[in-house]
Amino acid sequence: MGFEFKYSVVWESIPLLLVGVKLTLLLTLFGLLIGFFLGTAAGLGKTSRSWIFNKISGVYIESIRGTPLMVQVMFIYFGLPMALNTRIPSLLAGAVAIALNSGAYIAEIVRGAIQSIDKGQTEAGRSIGLTQFQTLLYVIWPQAFRRMIPPLGNQFIISLKDTSLLVVIGVGELTRTGQEIIAVNFRAFEVWTSVALIYLVMTLSLSKILSITEKKLEIKA
Amino acid sequence: MIEIKDLHKNFGSLEVLKGIHLHIKTGEVVVIIGPSGSGKSTLLRCINRLEETTSGTIIVDSYDINDINTDINFIRSETGMVFQQFNLFPHMTVLHNVTLGPVKVRKLSRTKAKKVGMDLLIRVGLGDKANAYPDQLSGGQKQRVAIARSLALNPKAMLFDEPTSALDPELVGEVLEVMKTLATEGMTMVVVSHEMGFAREVADRVFFMDDGVIVEENTPEMFFTHPQHERTKAFLKMVL
Repeated sequence: MGFEFKYSVVWESIPLLLVGVKLTLLLTLFGLLIGFFLGTAAGLGKTSRSWIFNKISGVYIESIRGTPLMVQVMFIYFGLPMALNTRIPSLLAGAVAIALNSGAYIAEIVRGAIQSIDKGQTEAGRSIGLTQFQTLLYVIWPQAFRRMIPPLGNQFIISLKDTSLLVVIGVGELTRTGQEIIAVNFRAFEVWTSVALIYLVMTLSLSKILSITEKKLEIKA
Repeated sequence: MIEIKDLHKNFGSLEVLKGIHLHIKTGEVVVIIGPSGSGKSTLLRCINRLEETTSGTIIVDSYDINDINTDINFIRSETGMVFQQFNLFPHMTVLHNVTLGPVKVRKLSRTKAKKVGMDLLIRVGLGDKANAYPDQLSGGQKQRVAIARSLALNPKAMLFDEPTSALDPELVGEVLEVMKTLATEGMTMVVVSHEMGFAREVADRVFFMDDGVIVEENTPEMFFTHPQHERTKAFLKMVL
């Protein structure tokens, strides 16, 4: 007897999966928002001449980039609470992990973009009497930010997909929801197909939004 | 206006300036010429501390620029700098380039700054380009905007670092014209340039630099017709 793709399973699963989608989006949004601030701070720290900022940023970036996200997630959810003798909700642990993780990668994006701006721009800013901070704010950052958009978009997509790893701590996001549905109906093929397609729709939409933003911010020539 | 005493500048173990002494009076136009690598640009960049001095003193408008009590941002706003590569801000319109300093440094209202900016753009012949972006301009136009951007802060002196070296030959004239007007209006100017015609016509004094020192200084007539030093003679022979 051949395999038969049951469309009815897909239709029945979708409302349940959408509940997971909501969490996935929430985790991604929160994670990236905090991650962007962390990344900006650490990225600026890496370009800073201050030894201490430079070192702190360096340690953060290297330790996050040098360890697997899965380990970070379990460390935050199972490890830290044990040492601190407390409990944290899995959703919070997941969001923190995504934020810390994306922050380290975003830091490198920020650093690279800032360092790619011609030194003459800083000199021109300083030569009209702007302070170092004003030069960063009005001259360097707006130009650097435009260069960050493509790699940031990449990171956004990676982080969105990375939320699926949070199944290991039982966060009820999209992947976890898929697992739960399969546990009941055993229709792995239909459910994983649906889950994959939903991820694809989300990442493609994100790409589209970013390419529109990039066009809007393009420097006129 | 600008007084430099025994200025030394090292890049690592390389000594680029080996004891510079000079005094530039208010309203004076000084052109510095010399072979590449002689330290001309470094000297200019030391005057508004884009390069840190290794030793020696630089007094600009009675402020010692290396004194920790001197507000270097203020000094920089008082000495306009024009770069070889223009260094306009590509993400801002031409007018915004010119008004950034007045608004953020001089704290002028936007309306007032716009008026100052438009007047200056008209002065450099670019009133019609106010809303264009730098990348839409020719090199000569860019450099004129850069001059207007510096003038917008109403500086006491202007420093020009090879302002025409990156321009196509046919665009050099329009920039020199603006500089000439500025000189006749009494602006104190220090110009690093290879434009011998400009030096001859506009400069009050010409300095010849070689190997980190000012080898010779004189009025343009004397400098070009009766160079004293062998190195000056050799250089002039090559460029004239």
